[in-house]
Amino acid sequence: MITIDNLVKRRGSAKILSGVSFRARPGRVTGLLGPNGAGKSSTLRILLGLDRATSGTALIGSVPFVKLRDPLATVGAMLDGSGAHRARTGRAHLRWVARSAGLPRARVDEVLEIVGLTNAASKRVGGYSLGMGRRLGLATALLGDPEILVLDEPVNGLDPDGIRWIRTLLRERAASGRTVLLSSHLMGELAATVDDVVVVNEGKVVADGTLDEVTGPYGTLEDAFFALTTGGAP
Amino acid sequence: MKALAAEASKLASSPAVWIAAAAGVLVPGVIAAITASSALGAITRGTEANAAIDTGYQELAFGVAGAIILGVVGVSGEYVTESAESGGGRQITTSLTVVPSRLRFLLAKMSAIAVSGALLAITATVTTMGVVRVVLGEHAPAWGADDVPRLAGVVCYWAYTALLASAITVLTRHGVVPLAVLIANTSVVSVTYLLTKITPLANYLPDMAGVRMFIRQLADSTAEISPLTGCLVMTIWVTVLLVIAVISFTRRDA
Repeated sequence: MITIDNLVKRRGSAKILSGVSFRARPGRVTGLLGPNGAGKSSTLRILLGLDRATSGTALIGSVPFVKLRDPLATVGAMLDGSGAHRARTGRAHLRWVARSAGLPRARVDEVLEIVGLTNAASKRVGGYSLGMGRRLGLATALLGDPEILVLDEPVNGLDPDGIRWIRTLLRERAASGRTVLLSSHLMGELAATVDDVVVVNEGKVVADGTLDEVTGPYGTLEDAFFALTTGGAP
Repeated sequence: MKALAAEASKLASSPAVWIAAAAGVLVPGVIAAITASSALGAITRGTEANAAIDTGYQELAFGVAGAIILGVVGVSGEYVTESAESGGGRQITTSLTVVPSRLRFLLAKMSAIAVSGALLAITATVTTMGVVRVVLGEHAPAWGADDVPRLAGVVCYWAYTALLASAITVLTRHGVVPLAVLIANTSVVSVTYLLTKITPLANYLPDMAGVRMFIRQLADSTAEISPLTGCLVMTIWVTVLLVIAVISFTRRDA
């Protein structure tokens, strides 16, 4: 369970988040939706201990991320791009990550297989397409076979095949009782993937509920999204 | 220990680190070959009686550029941003999501850099002193008891310099400026050396003090600093900069 409670983030005089609260539950895929600049990435970065909240808490189970004993086996995270240095090969990147958690080398080959990068594993990350970089990022997140996945814009840069593949993967993770939290500004791809929806706009949660509850009166998730984030009827 | 293993693995799989290693071994080795052969010429012509006391050591003071590159790229690699088309990611986000404790991450990285800097120094020393001995033959300065602390001083100087470069790069989060400034200072124009002409206090800057660990005849020296004092002064510099780097790194958003 991920518990975000009243997060506030100020950067200089700008207020990035003004009291964001929601939960992501086990066995469900939770989608954090909002336009660019709504505060989705900031929320995830605070959850992962990369940025510090001005106030409020973000907990994994009952502890903040930075206090986790075995982070890689608890939370798999993917933020912007591949998260790898471009001069390193995909395999070398996964190897140092595996070492940080004492995972065997064989696990690196397993995740390369899962994300379909086995043939590109010896290429430098700088030569990867956006989609390949995202697959490498996902491979990194899956290395520790974690209970929880936190993914920032996971479908960005993926082709339709890739989007279907990641949807299946995330649905399987949730079906096995794990927690998935993802952010996106793409509604169409998301409607078929998520169980619960949290809509943020200008640093505030404007809707929070199951997909049906949030979509409810608007017909489609996309219509709901525009109605909620632009403040008017679509 | 796992965090240290991860950092060692990062260094070993980084092409820039291997460039640093090549520079660290080749620069002093090649300069030593040139200066030793000109010294040999002078000795055989009879204009010089024997090779200078700092033969080999002087070259290793230049070769520390390799340790500087190592220290800078070991940290700046975390902050290299992918192109916008590739998603604009940085390795630091991965590093801190797999080793969430900032302090543990930075200590592991600094330890890996210090150990690599020391290993590079040992390799460069063996190569450089080997070149000196091959070129000068019987005219090479004889090994004495004083060479033991001097060689240890070279290793210490390189490891410390790599740490200083890393600590500065933690503050700048970008490699270009520290790399340019520090390399220029050791090779092209030594600003710290010129400063010693203005004030004797500049002799206590980290590089000027640190080289006293193994250089015995500093040109136009404006202060007497013993090897041990030089080591102590550089230790203080390294400690202070590391503490500043840790404070900054643990407080800022990644």
